[in-house]
Amino acid sequence: MLSRVAENLYWFSRYLKRTENTARLVGVNSLLQLDLPRSVRFAWQPLLDILGAGDAFRALHPESQDEAAEADVVHFLLLDERNACSMLSSLKQARDALRTIREALPQECWERVNGTFLRLGEEGEHNLGRRYRLDLLNRVVDDCLVVSGILTANVSRDIGFQFMRLGTALEQADMTTRIIDAGASGLIRPRGAEEIEAYQAMQWMSVLRSLAAYQMYRRHVRQRVSAAHALQFLLQNREFPRSVMFCLVRMQAALPLAPPRRAVERALARAQALARDADTRVLAETGVAGLMDEIQIAIAGLHASITETYFRA
Amino acid sequence: MKWEGYRSSTYDELFEPGGQPRPAARRLIEYLKGLSDRDLAERQLAADLAARVMGITFTVYSEGRNVDRTLPFDVIPRVIPRAEWTRTEAGLRQRVRALNLFIGDIYGEQRIIKDRVFPSALLKESANFRPQCVGVTPPLGVWAHICGSDLVRDGDGTLYVLEDNLRIPSGVSYMIQNRMVAKRVFPELFETSSILPVDDYPAQLYDTLAAITPRPGTPPVIALLTPGIYNSAYFEHCYLAQSMGIELVEGGDLFVDSDDCCYMRTVGGPQRVDVVYRRIDDLYLDPECFHPDSLLGVPGLVRAWRAGNVALANAPGAGVADDKVVFTYVPKMIKYYLDEDPILPNVPSYLCTQKRDRDYVLAHLEELVVKPANESGGYGMLIGPRSTKREREKFAKLILENPRNYMAQPTLALSTAPIVTPDGPQARHLDLRPFVLSRGDIYVTTGGLTRVAMNAGSLVVNSSQGGGAKDTWVVDTEDGA
Repeated sequence: MLSRVAENLYWFSRYLKRTENTARLVGVNSLLQLDLPRSVRFAWQPLLDILGAGDAFRALHPESQDEAAEADVVHFLLLDERNACSMLSSLKQARDALRTIREALPQECWERVNGTFLRLGEEGEHNLGRRYRLDLLNRVVDDCLVVSGILTANVSRDIGFQFMRLGTALEQADMTTRIIDAGASGLIRPRGAEEIEAYQAMQWMSVLRSLAAYQMYRRHVRQRVSAAHALQFLLQNREFPRSVMFCLVRMQAALPLAPPRRAVERALARAQALARDADTRVLAETGVAGLMDEIQIAIAGLHASITETYFRA
Repeated sequence: MKWEGYRSSTYDELFEPGGQPRPAARRLIEYLKGLSDRDLAERQLAADLAARVMGITFTVYSEGRNVDRTLPFDVIPRVIPRAEWTRTEAGLRQRVRALNLFIGDIYGEQRIIKDRVFPSALLKESANFRPQCVGVTPPLGVWAHICGSDLVRDGDGTLYVLEDNLRIPSGVSYMIQNRMVAKRVFPELFETSSILPVDDYPAQLYDTLAAITPRPGTPPVIALLTPGIYNSAYFEHCYLAQSMGIELVEGGDLFVDSDDCCYMRTVGGPQRVDVVYRRIDDLYLDPECFHPDSLLGVPGLVRAWRAGNVALANAPGAGVADDKVVFTYVPKMIKYYLDEDPILPNVPSYLCTQKRDRDYVLAHLEELVVKPANESGGYGMLIGPRSTKREREKFAKLILENPRNYMAQPTLALSTAPIVTPDGPQARHLDLRPFVLSRGDIYVTTGGLTRVAMNAGSLVVNSSQGGGAKDTWVVDTEDGA
């Protein structure tokens, strides 16, 4: 397989996953915000920082210090092309990658991705308000899932498919740590200290929902939602496909056999160890930001070694 | 569908001058008569939809946004009786055989010049002659593996060769896809008529490419080299690569190592490439050899080709024979190399290098079509009867400044065929581009791509200039007509 094609397959699946996760994250938090009483403030700012878009946003909206306005943030996270991580930018990059490898994937993939991209460009702006936002985001999520369904059902399990699996798993592991981070950093800001606990559970439920994990959590954990349990489920569960550990184990299975891949294996082992060895009870007390950063750095290293080993050799 | 009002100002492919369907088209016309206007409109709609769904597009890139446009497709096929096609096919074989001998001779001994059949002055001023190719003997002696010759029919019914495309002819994927659409739209007709199939082209092309591998005996690694997604023929590049099961590569995917072999970069490391079906023009093919600033090509590719380590189809320099001035010498080449009379005549042409011809051209600009020697795609032409005085003056000046760069042909009354319009069937001018594959033996597509000028009266059929396409049927008639 051509390195260029393999790399584009990898990036296509990463951007597709990123698009889906961004849509989900904004959607769930939009809902969460509706549940909060007036006395509780919802801060959008951390969401920007977690998606790596905080600085870019502040540069464009210097007037909004801590109190980033919802409309501005939502637009920036979803449709702003000046934000390289916005949902639309991610989808555009998925589409650009796919364009150059159209012949490698089923035609329906292109049609779906292209159709979603064109629709977002045409109707996105009008549907950002609270009234239509969820419909818009749900359709994007659905479209992404249809594409992964087509890939799973109709694409041969050749080496190209392995690179798509690598991209999907790596991106999901990364997004999961970011969404955990966002939840833990306190999007909800109650005014009184006594309310903190009550809203914490709500916050973690929303994290689980952002990762489509709430139902699976209930079935498998059989405990009311708490920070420690949610963390453990999202970080270490080996059966839920969006948990960090599940993704990293899956990557192990998807690594192509040739050429030698010692650097990739070392990087993968490092990331796995961080997720596996985490003491989620302690983390729930002391904060997760540090560990999430470490895992993200390990994932970035893993990405670099994949690029080096397979695409630049 | 009502045909009473149908009129053509010239030879019509489906109807005789008296309004009777031609024998090979009889069944088709009968069938079409049985369809209501609504039926037909529905089928046209179904065809347009099928084309969109199948992704039959060419790319128009403008204002930073890329748009995939579908090639307009008319559902009424163009019909050619088999007997006529057999003769045409023989003519094309003969022609392409002579062209390949000519190219080989030009880059070799130049006997045709020494024997004073072909003037050496023309070669010196040819924009498509590549000194870098002198002395090379490509495998099987073939330079133009893929040739697309444009045929037109004049008002009197004579089929002429208008030009040969020996560099990177395109359009063959539309020929195949047009047939797929036609089968979806008129399945009944395919059951009852014997319409010869066209879909073995990719297999034939694969065999052609495999035949020139420098490593016979090992399964050849073949790649189609595309300029990339912004090229107007990118759809065709994808389609052909997919249907042959070969790699679709861009310049950056290939490199030539110090061993003068060509490799592609794969996830398993470099893999040697035997044959490159290149869809990049000569001048952009190899920055080491031609345009040094080309980003599309592969540095050293021509070096590897000269060393015999990679085969290129078409070979660099093959375009020397599709120069529109060199074109006028093809009948002489056929006589010279094959000692045969040309089966297919050239469109009569005037060479601006020869004083008598030039004077005639300058005096008759209003009646002639003037073409630059090296353009393709219908650019830079003067269509006399439709030109303004100012355009004619501009061309007169251009011709006097650089006579070698221009030739002229009479404005042919190009034949027509009916297309579906909201006002019923109407005649439109068309041409035919068959594709000819050379690899020892010669393969000719059954029929070819029929291009049709969708605008009333227009003579320009190029897709870049508002042309569309029709399916082309070579039909066995029961009475042998």
